[in-house]
Amino acid sequence: MKNIRSGITFGIVGGLLTFLFGGWSVVIIGCLMGVGLGMGLGAKLERKDPVQIAISVLPTALVSGAILVLLSIYQNSFVQEAIGKHPVESTIVLYGSLLGFLGAVLFTTLLAALHGLPEKREQQWKMALLALLIVAFPFVDKLTSLRWTAQIIFALIFVILGLGLNIVVGYAGLLDLGYAAFFAIGAYTTGILSSPQHGIYMNFWLVIWIAAGMAAIWGFMLGAPTLPLRGDYLAIVTLGFGEIVPVLFKNLIDVTIKEPFTCWILPGIINLFGAKTTMACITLLEHEDLTAGEKGISPIGRPYLPFIGEFKSSDPIPWYFLIICIIILSVFIIRRLRDSRLGRSWMAIREDELAAAQMGIDPVKTKLAAFAMGATFSGFAGAFYAAYIAGIFPSVFDFSASIIILCVVILGGIGNINGVIVGGLVIMTADRLFLPALKDFLASLLTHTVLPSISNPVVQLAVKDNANPILYRFLLFGLTLVIMMAVRPEGLIPNEQVRAELHSAEEETKE
Amino acid sequence: MLELKDVHTYYGNIHALKGISLTVNDGEIVTLIGSNGAGKSTTLRTIQGLNKPRSGSVVLDGVELHKLPAHQIATLGVAQSPEGRMIFPRMTVMENLEMGAYLRKDRTTFNEELDHVFSLFPRLKERISQKGGTLSGGEQQMLAMGRALMAKPKILLLDEPSMGLAPLLVELIFDIIKKLNEEGTTILLVEQNALMALSIAHRGYVLQTGEIILSDSAKNLKNDEMVQKAYLGVE
Repeated sequence: MKNIRSGITFGIVGGLLTFLFGGWSVVIIGCLMGVGLGMGLGAKLERKDPVQIAISVLPTALVSGAILVLLSIYQNSFVQEAIGKHPVESTIVLYGSLLGFLGAVLFTTLLAALHGLPEKREQQWKMALLALLIVAFPFVDKLTSLRWTAQIIFALIFVILGLGLNIVVGYAGLLDLGYAAFFAIGAYTTGILSSPQHGIYMNFWLVIWIAAGMAAIWGFMLGAPTLPLRGDYLAIVTLGFGEIVPVLFKNLIDVTIKEPFTCWILPGIINLFGAKTTMACITLLEHEDLTAGEKGISPIGRPYLPFIGEFKSSDPIPWYFLIICIIILSVFIIRRLRDSRLGRSWMAIREDELAAAQMGIDPVKTKLAAFAMGATFSGFAGAFYAAYIAGIFPSVFDFSASIIILCVVILGGIGNINGVIVGGLVIMTADRLFLPALKDFLASLLTHTVLPSISNPVVQLAVKDNANPILYRFLLFGLTLVIMMAVRPEGLIPNEQVRAELHSAEEETKE
Repeated sequence: MLELKDVHTYYGNIHALKGISLTVNDGEIVTLIGSNGAGKSTTLRTIQGLNKPRSGSVVLDGVELHKLPAHQIATLGVAQSPEGRMIFPRMTVMENLEMGAYLRKDRTTFNEELDHVFSLFPRLKERISQKGGTLSGGEQQMLAMGRALMAKPKILLLDEPSMGLAPLLVELIFDIIKKLNEEGTTILLVEQNALMALSIAHRGYVLQTGEIILSDSAKNLKNDEMVQKAYLGVE
């Protein structure tokens, strides 16, 4: 009975989402819904025969699929009219609904049934299925012309950023409020090294490593003087750094670098003896526009691969697979790091710095390594971002970017790689896909249905101006964080250790 | 082996150690007794490098410890089972023990040492995958000592191992300390439970408000009138 209820909830949520996106979206939503519902149901069941599980969840799957399809059909016949669009052709509706229904039912039963297998096999199957979904997604997206891939890529950029920040905040326990600064350094390195700004056109495959290296060096340089600080003090310093870097890039538009020895020191000494100087001063840079200020650097060079050619903005699929590769590489490296001696010492430092020092761990070196490693990944993300957008502007990297990355880590689950990936996807798809779609939906609903029925022009205008959910973006982020902290402070997919700490008080009272 | 010479340590303006001098020879159990606030823990913290002495010297086998940071002192074979235990609460017992052996890179001696710790504290083996923070007080004490032993230290500093433990457990812990010493570990033991400490130690120092007021063999200290009155509760 409880299962059926969660089936109904999933069906309704999925169905309402089709209201926003319309058309073929029901197929993708159906499949994703099935995956979510199947995993949720499976986790609650005991391990037994897969076929039995499949039969037991089948009613739930059918109910959720049916609700989804009914809502989607309702969307096509009634909602479309209300928002002033023509209903889609009935063949699309038919096939879309059919595929969506099948996807929902199939994935729900399949994923729940997988729970019947031994644990290791279950993991393998889930990984295989996940890989299939990841590979199939952009092509399905292209076929159904939903254009989600381009937005998902933004989410994936934030997944990398979240993974990097997770090293600093999650593993080493250092609160970094200026993480976007390293993102900016990665992006600007790419911008400067492969754009007409300076006439340097380096290959993207080289630049991405230089960008990561630059970010790491800056992580090291910021860390070295500040990491002996603890807790709140460190957070304040990183906050300052995060503010300084975008301002710096905004103002590096007239740079003159003179070689100090020949320009000031030697002439100074000569002047001391009263002689007139006629030395030639060596100038390294004169009135050089390094970052183009507010205008930003564009266009920026793009990656090139044989057979695929140069990556283009019009075709997001190569970009999608590139960033998936970067994420897989990052996850692999971060996992190895976490289980290494260094990873252990990060966790010891997070637990108790003094005790860690007594074990022979050098706290400053360990923290520096965390800072530099975390920065490296944001360097990757920055290089990819710059190439993908083909332009960079200082305003992208301000304080709010740092906070959003921090939200990704906190919402997903501090210290848990899978959690951070889910957190990044949830926050950024909400920001990039859900809110704009909701905005369009509301706007057209208002102009075609609601507004004509309001007679008072003042009210009409007020409603029209304020019904834009994108305006409330940060309000919604903040609200989500507040609710998360109250209801589930350990994040969506928590790290075991964090959960143990947060809930230890409750367990004690239960005993 | 370990020698403190005229060590003065301050907390800000508070003069905590007013010229402590003591020696611990190879293979000894030396105990440091004294009441609350006498400076016992501060002495250990100074040896460990967590507090730096303003003057005086701490020398271990010819190396001047007071000039080194804490993590380097650990590499020289000084391990401490700290007061209040300071175990890693969110790591399992096994992970805590692994952290103790952080500086050792060879796997075989690691396993030997692990077996040794488990033979001393069979309870830890039962709790191997439990989180450190969820252990009872006695088990945490065992874990803290076990973790210190994992480093195979030259000298083991024990800070109040009996604190907050039931009498039966205190006896067990002290038996283990004695056993460790018989196996060749040099031990500097800080205790409020003077009777227990003096019964297993070879020599002892009595600390009062940052100064050493008495030093003698443990047997003589036990019979000393002043010590009996002040610390052993004999009228």
